[in-house]
Amino acid sequence: MLSLSLKEALSRLKDGSLSAKELCEKCIDRAVKTRELNAIVTPTYSQARKQAEVAAQTWSRTGKSTTSARKLEGLPIVVKDNFCTKGVHTTCASRMLENYVPPYNATVVQRLFTQGAVLLGKSNMDEYGMGSGSVDSIFGPVRNPWKYEFTNTRTIPEGTLDTSSLLASPQSPGEALGTRGLHRSVHPGTGGSNPGLHEEGAWRVAGGSSGGSAAAVAAGICFGALGSDTGGSTRNPSSYCGVVGLKSSYGLLSRHGLIPLVNSLEVPGIMARSVDDVNTLQNIMAGTDEHDSTTLTDDRFVTSDLPEDIDVKHLHIGIPKEYHAPGLSPDVLDAWRRAADKFEQAGAKVTEVSLPHTQYSILCYIVLCCCEVASNMARYDGIEYGHRGQQELSTEQMYAMSRHEGFNEVVRGRIFAGNFFLLRRNYEQYFLKAQRVRRLIKDDFTRVFDEGVNVLLTPTTLTDAPRYDWFTAADNRTRNEEQDIFTQPINMAGIPAVTVPAGLTSNGLPIGLQFIGQMFKDKEMLTVAKWFEQQVQFENLNLDHLDN
Amino acid sequence: MAAPMRVRAPRLCQICKCFPSSFLRCSSSTTSKRKWEGVVGLEIHAQILAESKLFSGACTKFGGTTNNQVSLFDAAFPGTLPAINRRCVEAGGQTALALNCQINKVSKFDRKHYFYADLPAGYQITQLRQPLAKQGSLRFPILRGDISPKCPLDYMTVRLEQIQLEQDSGKSIHNEDDKQSLIDLNRAGVGLMEIITAPDLSSGLESVSFLRELIGILTTVSTCNCKMEEGSFRVDANISVHQPGEPLGTRVEVKNLNSIRSVKNAIDYEIRRQKQQLQQGKQIINDTRSWDVSAGLTLPMRDKEIELDYRFMPEPNLPPLHVYDNTSIPAGLNPSQIVNIDVLQQQLPPLPAQQKQDLVTTYGLPELYAHRIEVKPGMRDYYKKVVEARPKDPIYIAVRMMGELLGEMNKKKLEFNDITCSPETFGEACDLRKLNAMTTREFEKVVEDLLENPPSETHLNRIRKRLLMGSRDSDEQLESICRQVLEDFEQGSHLKNAKLKRNPEKLLIFLAQQATKKSVEVRFVHARTVFKKLLNKE
Amino acid sequence: MIHRSTSFLLSFVPSAPSWTTIDENKLPKVPELTTDVIELLERLSLVEFNNKAGVDRLTKVIQSVNRLYTVDTDGVEPLDTVLEDRVLHLRDDDVTDGNCRKDIISNATKTVEDYFVAPPGNIPLMKIERDYKPDTKSDSTESDSAT
Repeated sequence: MLSLSLKEALSRLKDGSLSAKELCEKCIDRAVKTRELNAIVTPTYSQARKQAEVAAQTWSRTGKSTTSARKLEGLPIVVKDNFCTKGVHTTCASRMLENYVPPYNATVVQRLFTQGAVLLGKSNMDEYGMGSGSVDSIFGPVRNPWKYEFTNTRTIPEGTLDTSSLLASPQSPGEALGTRGLHRSVHPGTGGSNPGLHEEGAWRVAGGSSGGSAAAVAAGICFGALGSDTGGSTRNPSSYCGVVGLKSSYGLLSRHGLIPLVNSLEVPGIMARSVDDVNTLQNIMAGTDEHDSTTLTDDRFVTSDLPEDIDVKHLHIGIPKEYHAPGLSPDVLDAWRRAADKFEQAGAKVTEVSLPHTQYSILCYIVLCCCEVASNMARYDGIEYGHRGQQELSTEQMYAMSRHEGFNEVVRGRIFAGNFFLLRRNYEQYFLKAQRVRRLIKDDFTRVFDEGVNVLLTPTTLTDAPRYDWFTAADNRTRNEEQDIFTQPINMAGIPAVTVPAGLTSNGLPIGLQFIGQMFKDKEMLTVAKWFEQQVQFENLNLDHLDN
Repeated sequence: MAAPMRVRAPRLCQICKCFPSSFLRCSSSTTSKRKWEGVVGLEIHAQILAESKLFSGACTKFGGTTNNQVSLFDAAFPGTLPAINRRCVEAGGQTALALNCQINKVSKFDRKHYFYADLPAGYQITQLRQPLAKQGSLRFPILRGDISPKCPLDYMTVRLEQIQLEQDSGKSIHNEDDKQSLIDLNRAGVGLMEIITAPDLSSGLESVSFLRELIGILTTVSTCNCKMEEGSFRVDANISVHQPGEPLGTRVEVKNLNSIRSVKNAIDYEIRRQKQQLQQGKQIINDTRSWDVSAGLTLPMRDKEIELDYRFMPEPNLPPLHVYDNTSIPAGLNPSQIVNIDVLQQQLPPLPAQQKQDLVTTYGLPELYAHRIEVKPGMRDYYKKVVEARPKDPIYIAVRMMGELLGEMNKKKLEFNDITCSPETFGEACDLRKLNAMTTREFEKVVEDLLENPPSETHLNRIRKRLLMGSRDSDEQLESICRQVLEDFEQGSHLKNAKLKRNPEKLLIFLAQQATKKSVEVRFVHARTVFKKLLNKE
Repeated sequence: MIHRSTSFLLSFVPSAPSWTTIDENKLPKVPELTTDVIELLERLSLVEFNNKAGVDRLTKVIQSVNRLYTVDTDGVEPLDTVLEDRVLHLRDDDVTDGNCRKDIISNATKTVEDYFVAPPGNIPLMKIERDYKPDTKSDSTESDSAT
């Protein structure tokens, strides 16, 4: 049941074959059983139960008449822990915000709630989104559910497995301790408390920085999840976890309430198990928000369902040659080729195109990212909110201590680099240079689209999900440079992109391919992605065996 | 406008009488006597009169409950974003037009980074690269203390480099005893116009004259209330000294000058200080100083000057700000999204310079009077109403208003919009004074009464009555007062009396002065006549 | 499972990477991170480098991004935002926010009568003697910071 798509789950809620309460309990149960994935850092089960209760009543009241029911009535979701949720801890997986409870909901979260979505919990991530493996979190790393050997079905004694009764009261251990409690004491970088059945570090990373959300969707904890995408943070883990991950056009989804990494690049990301599902969620969240001056105000975007019968004959698919980058694994290259061929065989025009500045994009990304990070992190000083160091000698001394203790090494390193690039003497040389290169990257895309290309087809990542021990053998920046290689140019240009599972590699791990669309033509891109999805018939991860 | 509009005539070198171009040659001689000149540029932070803040919907009212006029954005809560207030853009535009600035059709916002406890985001959103407006100018009269109303005013023009929109910071209350600062963010995020002048001023007097004109303009166009005591109009001064013809000297910034008097004193002090330093062969340190009002000194704000680098960066959450004119309005844009410079221009009320000219031509006022009436908020309107009711002598009314009326108002700390006395009544009092129906001191009393709320006409009524009954009673009364004074005089010190008696004219003046002190109704001239009569009898 | 194909005679996907090799020798030198620069950055960042490893990391980032030099950007305007052609939305001047003191101070560690509290200001950061030379003993994340 937990492998259903969002669309299927909704129709079963609608026809009454599934109750919202039942669905909610199932999801909570799955979340508890897959706890060692470390996907959820703040469970909100009691809130979820209340929301599910309301949904159940609504469904029983409205019955089969769908007119008064809300669009996501009773549908469990998970939200990345960098979206503000009113009254619910929002930590960015950082010590800095360990105790931060926002007094407001992010616009996109609010819009999901307004349509009846049920929040199951906040998901794990790299601290402030700075990472591409979801390994740099105060809560410990996220584990990829694919090829993961769970221990808890064997180690937890019979009886306690009936977690629905165990978690029925808000004071129950499942909620009171929660995953937050479980991992609070874990030293950063050493992994969760539960090593699983693997040899040390042999499991796969979930990708990042929205690894918790991707793992939760893949593991069947929820039907849709919010991630954020600054340089690939939604698409990278989606690819590694075998789910669909959408980065919308910049300005389509409000960033109000998304705790920023790089304002000029990032967008809320949407993860689900099918292209139709991400489309449904996008329709619900898209549109003008008076709180975010960068949201579109015109009618260039129309919410609509994707067609069922899709014809790709009239389409022009571009294959950017620069996306065959050093380090591309044979499996991924193979999947990419097969996909291109599929389009060709179906009558689409497929051509090689060139985006000549692709290889410089990641460098440009590093400069711009560090600069905005240095700026965005300046607000964390321990006065109004956030970690406050025990130091009252002077304002600056207190700030320095709070920030030093509150941020991990990766965040601190980017702050330094950003401030270095922004120094008066370096500004032209680094910051402006990067902005100029950014224009060239954007112009590359504009040119190929002007030449008639509808959608670009590329790999999402170089390989399938790497092993944790391999991943952590190099530093955060090195991993960033390789992990975000195919994803961050899209953020530079502000255009939409979606990753769709394309199959399994010889390791039995999923990989995704990326479709890149034109500004605000998210629907056209998603339609192409849906056609591809129909051809691939990718089988979602099924963890139903955990239920027994 | 590349060159300063105010070109100073080259002054002769004091030592060798050569022109500045040959200064190099004579610089080896005694430097102490050479002429040093102050160079001053001002940065004015004027709070925009608006209901809500620049980027948030929180209230801007002064003096609210602590931290209650604060939105999550103002407190820099993570994830909050700016949304610009249309009113602030319009106010900035109107101010720019009133100050002859070029308005940028597209302007941009930048972040300026520094850590301070009352700056919650760690940066201020301001406009550096492409401000709302630039290259303006302001012509204003220099108001020396000794100018005669007969002389035309001496004008100068200062260039304005730019006007930018930016956020105000919160307020810190420093508590020395508890070794902590208390932070109130009510002011954080209020819209400011930062107006930056070129270094075209040279003294406290010029600076203050400029500021008065500017305040007049801002209050006229209603974009700032300019209440310095509430911090809605704050001045920083960049001050250096140099010798004419030489490059500018090292500049010192004096921050947070909170009254006109402080501006004047601080600038004059700082110029003096720098001259002294240089004359003693010392270097000027490029530092930031504050003005200590009680000690009358500028003091360095930090123990040691550290390198500042604000690391300016484009504000990524605000697309470019567009303003239009009649020719450039794009089709299909929602009217609520259009700020049209041509419309703003039309809506501008007549500016002070125009108003002054009108006062001069309509009422025949000397420029100085017109100026004084114009610069005081609300005074022009009141003056016009008084003259309308009592059109006989506009100049006389102006003198009375600038004299007794302003004097009494200052004592009571009143502004023109606090006055409830009708212009007609005040005009009548002026007329009565002009007719010599009352003494200066009586007139002061009358004015004092009229400034009560509600106005009291006790004194005025006595004078009205006295005028009706003729002056006989008062003549008798005057004579009896004078006799009393004379008696007192005879009983006074013999030595002093003898000295006075040797000079009859001085004696008359002395006695008449004594008589005026006895009663407000005694007029000096009349008393003198009476004494002359009385003394001659003897 | 994806079954690796043996040959794609007419594939549109290039068979080999086409990236330009960058001659590292032609790149500008990484400016020396003197103690002055490090101190300045620490003051502006209000976090500490901590140790030699921090300095090394910064050096490596700079080294890496120096490769941008090889891109010809003559006459290219910097791009701040992909919304550069968009018009900034103007909000009406209405009081719609604030009046939420409780929310505003709800997350503060320290308050006095609804004020936030900061230690005394205008005191420059104390200089901490640190050794950024190689061979510092450890890369420990805990430091004797802010003493």
